[in-house]
Amino acid sequence: MGILSGALSGARFRVEGDLPAGFRGVFRDRLNATAFQEPPQGQGKEEVEGWVLTQNLLDTDFTDLNRWLIQDYALLALRVDKKRLPARLFRATLEKRVQVWCAERGLERCPAAVKNELKDNLEAEWLARSLPSVGVTEAVWSIEGRYLVLGTHSESTTDRFRKRFLQTFGLHLVPWSPLDWLATSADVEALIAQVPADVSLGGA
Amino acid sequence: MAEAKDGLPILPHVAGEFYVWLWWASEQQSGRFDLGDPVGAVDAWIDDRLAFRLPSETRVSAIMTGDDAPDAMESRAALAGGKVVNELRLAIKRDDREFSVTLKGPAMHLGQAKLPAMVTEGGEEVVFERMHLYEELCLIVAGLFRHYAAVRASPAWEVDVVPALRRWVVGEG
Repeated sequence: MGILSGALSGARFRVEGDLPAGFRGVFRDRLNATAFQEPPQGQGKEEVEGWVLTQNLLDTDFTDLNRWLIQDYALLALRVDKKRLPARLFRATLEKRVQVWCAERGLERCPAAVKNELKDNLEAEWLARSLPSVGVTEAVWSIEGRYLVLGTHSESTTDRFRKRFLQTFGLHLVPWSPLDWLATSADVEALIAQVPADVSLGGA
Repeated sequence: MAEAKDGLPILPHVAGEFYVWLWWASEQQSGRFDLGDPVGAVDAWIDDRLAFRLPSETRVSAIMTGDDAPDAMESRAALAGGKVVNELRLAIKRDDREFSVTLKGPAMHLGQAKLPAMVTEGGEEVVFERMHLYEELCLIVAGLFRHYAAVRASPAWEVDVVPALRRWVVGEG
């Protein structure tokens, strides 16, 4: 999203809720408690997610505030791992295994329970040797400014981030509206009250 | 006004009108805007990208790029044909600092924001400086939007601005 260099892009949110007393220490502890943890061997298809440092997605220790908190700007990244199997190749391989099972027993059909067992075994075998796809969504949070810029516009990724942010910090991320730029609620009311201009002026 | 559960509403027609007004006003005023406190005077002009959509759709249906994008006949023709500006690339100069940013969609997301390179070394200093510049950019865009909102809610919108915009769209202004 270009926090350190390049062009900066992202969706902006207001951060709503009360900061806890001594929030730096509180947030450090919460980030450490919800940091990304490598899953044990035999990870299935379930997603694994947690916070990582923006410097490197393998860095998950938030103890040193200087690594993620610059003045009142918090730099965070949410990592999500998920293993995916190639569906068509998986189906074809399973079908071959079913055929072998039938041939060994001289049967024409394979019972559903056996097929499910073969499927589970094949899935476990392939998941054990596959690497996950890794998604990392960066954000910069102005704690004093009460806003956050999130490096994605994807709705599903945004929803996940907002949920995890609430779980971690107890604070809501509210989508920012251009109307938030207006100084008073009277200004907002006055603008909303206007009838949209016709389409040739860019009104919808 | 009751605030929606997820904050203030995002109104597609407001963004579309703001983009067109900004495009028109920057041409009328040679890019000069006096935005008052706390922004002051800035230069702002449409840079090298305009994207249009049909009013009934959310997807972009036409994109104009290049230095002459805001001056191209095709750009005004898109407006005259009823298309809505969905995003534009804006160049801004405030004092000696130059920014450029893409304002995108009904939410006016700030994308591809190029910030002046004031500090280039030292991780912490760079982040701190860039975030300050990002906030300055937001302040300027907010100032432009407030300026539009004030004009939009005033009698001058219907009396002066809309007729002038109509003439401009067809190349008479």
